[in-house]
Amino acid sequence: MDFLQTYGFLIVTMLQQGLLGLSLYFPLMAGQLSLASPGFYALGGYIAAIMLTAPQFAGWRDALGSWIFPVTWLFSALASAVLGVIVGVPALRLRGIYLALATIAFVQILQVLSLNLSITGGAVGLFAIPQAFGFVDRWQYIWIFLPTVIVVLLFAHRLQGSRVGRAFRAIREDELAADAMGIPPTRYKVLAFVIGAVLAGVVGAMSAPFLNTWNARQGTFDASIAFLAYTLIGGSRSMWGPLLGGALLASLPELLRSLADWRLVINGLVLVVASLYLPQGIVGALGRLRRKAPPQRPVTPSTPALGDTP
Amino acid sequence: MTELLQNLINGLAIGSVYAIFALGYTLVFSILGIINFAHGAVFTLGAYFTYTLVVGQFENNGLIKGINLFPAGSPFHGSAWAFAAAALIGAVLSGLVAVVIERLAFRPMRARGADPLLALVSSLGVALVIVNLIQILVGAESYSFPTDIYGDLKPALIFSLGGKLIVVRTVQVIIFAVSMVLLLILGYVIGRTRIGKALRAVAENPGTASLLGISVTRFIIITFFLSGFLGGLAGTLVSTAFSVAGPYFGVAYGLKGLAVIVLGGLGSIPGAVVGGLVIGLAEAFVPAEYSAYKDAVAFALLFVILLIRPQGLLGRVQIQKV
Amino acid sequence: MTGPDLFKGHVLSKGHAAPSVPMSAGQQVLQASGLTRRFGGLIAVNNVSFEVRRGEIFGLIGPNGAGKTTLFNLMTGLTPPSSGTLTFGGQDITGFAPHRVAGLGIGRTFQNIRLFKVLSALENVKIAQHARTHAGLTQGLTGRDRAEERLVDERAWALLDLVGLAGRAGEEAGNFSYGDQRRLEIARALATQPQVLLLDEPAAGMNTSEKGELTSFIRRVRGEYDLTVMVIEHHVPLVMNLCDRVAVLNFGELIAVGDPASVQKDPKVIEAYLGG
Repeated sequence: MDFLQTYGFLIVTMLQQGLLGLSLYFPLMAGQLSLASPGFYALGGYIAAIMLTAPQFAGWRDALGSWIFPVTWLFSALASAVLGVIVGVPALRLRGIYLALATIAFVQILQVLSLNLSITGGAVGLFAIPQAFGFVDRWQYIWIFLPTVIVVLLFAHRLQGSRVGRAFRAIREDELAADAMGIPPTRYKVLAFVIGAVLAGVVGAMSAPFLNTWNARQGTFDASIAFLAYTLIGGSRSMWGPLLGGALLASLPELLRSLADWRLVINGLVLVVASLYLPQGIVGALGRLRRKAPPQRPVTPSTPALGDTP
Repeated sequence: MTELLQNLINGLAIGSVYAIFALGYTLVFSILGIINFAHGAVFTLGAYFTYTLVVGQFENNGLIKGINLFPAGSPFHGSAWAFAAAALIGAVLSGLVAVVIERLAFRPMRARGADPLLALVSSLGVALVIVNLIQILVGAESYSFPTDIYGDLKPALIFSLGGKLIVVRTVQVIIFAVSMVLLLILGYVIGRTRIGKALRAVAENPGTASLLGISVTRFIIITFFLSGFLGGLAGTLVSTAFSVAGPYFGVAYGLKGLAVIVLGGLGSIPGAVVGGLVIGLAEAFVPAEYSAYKDAVAFALLFVILLIRPQGLLGRVQIQKV
Repeated sequence: MTGPDLFKGHVLSKGHAAPSVPMSAGQQVLQASGLTRRFGGLIAVNNVSFEVRRGEIFGLIGPNGAGKTTLFNLMTGLTPPSSGTLTFGGQDITGFAPHRVAGLGIGRTFQNIRLFKVLSALENVKIAQHARTHAGLTQGLTGRDRAEERLVDERAWALLDLVGLAGRAGEEAGNFSYGDQRRLEIARALATQPQVLLLDEPAAGMNTSEKGELTSFIRRVRGEYDLTVMVIEHHVPLVMNLCDRVAVLNFGELIAVGDPASVQKDPKVIEAYLGG
């Protein structure tokens, strides 16, 4: 267990940041560059922190015991979905850099609110958030974050092969042509945005106990760009890209620890060099090395009716 | 009435700095179609360059500390002219830094036609490098310019209007005047001179421009120099009004600058000016009891304008060809 | 696997097909009245009225810039008209969004090919079946879309067979030759299962023999799938050979409608093409 004692926190952080990278990936599947994730991440964290510390929720905590933790995830998911629709429906009429800027504005507005409201603890934030499921060590959060990563990857995999995933891709490639082929772009763009929002919100709710405190520094512009960097440097066209990018970039400060003050400078240089020399991202560069198998034609020419399938 | 006037003065002063800062963003956007996030860091650098030239001394932390580059009696000591010279040199140095940034972080990307979104990450990497280098060299503390940088000028003009006082700080007058003069010069250069026409041609269509025998690369370099110059000067002006508030202080202005250029219309030069003044004034008119929410004003405006008029106040609508 | 049974009576058309209004041959399917579109000071389409009859191949010709593509965009919802109305099978569809128009049964191709270039040919054709299928997020995630997915797959392959591209199903659409891209666009439009198919310059970039093949291909498809076809085309012999009726646009105005032979003799048409 020595290994986990030493590197557990880092490993959990890598998984957590990988998930946040993935929260940008879902809107990108439908071609939408949203930088709103830190806003939903902060929101989810605040909801969990409030439910886990506020006296008003003492009754819930007593009644639910450890079940309070999944309940905070659920509430954060719901709140993120609702806010996602409210923000997404008007904002997703915008394209490209305009959407990115609108979502940056959204994150900034939420940050100013959380700095000033009393329920979020103002500038100090909320602290003494109890450890999830009575964990005594930080590495134990791997039991939360690892299964989440697996579930999200399975989700993304299924989604990609489905009708909804095809609609996302069509919109990403050419929104107007997709529209003319019968795909309602707004509905699917909002859906993709909300999936990303829910993921970021749930990761926030999981992270509040992990980090023990929660404050306005969790949802900042820096985080927006960090998540974007995960996605672009890892590779934005495969679900492995944001995960890998998040894990690598999150581990970078730790790997560079011996460089002390210079590590953030190196971190910046890595961003520059990676965007110059890995334009498709790491996964994109690896992907070019192997050829895709051609699609297989279905072998059964006789078609059973849809109603006949059990 | 006096309150209105006071807010107006405060708003115009800060708004005019927003305008020249945002012009730096918008110039680069209009030519390359990218947003240079390092612009906020160049703004910070401008303030540090000028501070170094004027005071020449950083105490406490960092590699450069306790030294005095410009002791009493040296050219950058004392008079208002010395300060003006320092601010000018600081802005030129910032412009040169911007040119270096273009060469190292943008040109290689352009050469291979990379996704413009990557420029966001690359320029943010540059910002991270600059900000942390400043921190390593001179520490994270904030520094204030000495009160006598404007020489014999009075620190403020105070008027009495109907029994109430209106304070116009000299810094505000200087900021406003410098910004307006710069805007007029820039407007003239872009609107009337051959350089300006060439710049506009490159902005309209780089391909055609190079066919017409205009060296696109040269104009991109000029644009980045102008952008860095304006950013650095804005940094100096803001820091004389407040302070050189640590290596990160340009980041917040960098974000606000985004709101300004979108409000005015991305890539529109008069738009950046109008956007800067509108946001400066809007912030000045936030009532004192809500001043904690002042920083949200620019972003609320940004969000709303994107929803009702995405092309901004003065931008042109792009018609999509089917 | 090609052939008439691909659409008719196919399980996919049950319930999900475009609501088919009972119409007999010769009856009008589309009716435009007073369609007008201004762009700033320019009038791209000016007070255009016409009707398209069920089962016919209706040609739309006119000099460059006459407003033909704009008219297609008005008919498919990509551009809202400034004034005028459009009815489809008796229903007023003026101002409908493009995906609704496609869902009702008007499919189209584009003058400057708009395939999903980095996606495979197969996927292009699968995507276009969206309006005729219904698996949502939960069905897709739980695998309850398997039966539907198999049918989508089969239909996509059949349509690629129809246009002769099944052998290259896995290749990126953007790598295809110009002519093949046009063929793939037709397959993609057919995948939306239209009643009316709008083809915007389908023969552009094809050589003479390919143009001949295209003529018989369009005729065959019309017969097999019971379609009404509208074609924008520059190549006059092709139009005269292919179309049952022809409309001529000039400077946004409709100057003639009728059978090819009489339109060809119309002095206004001759002037538009020769007078400049």
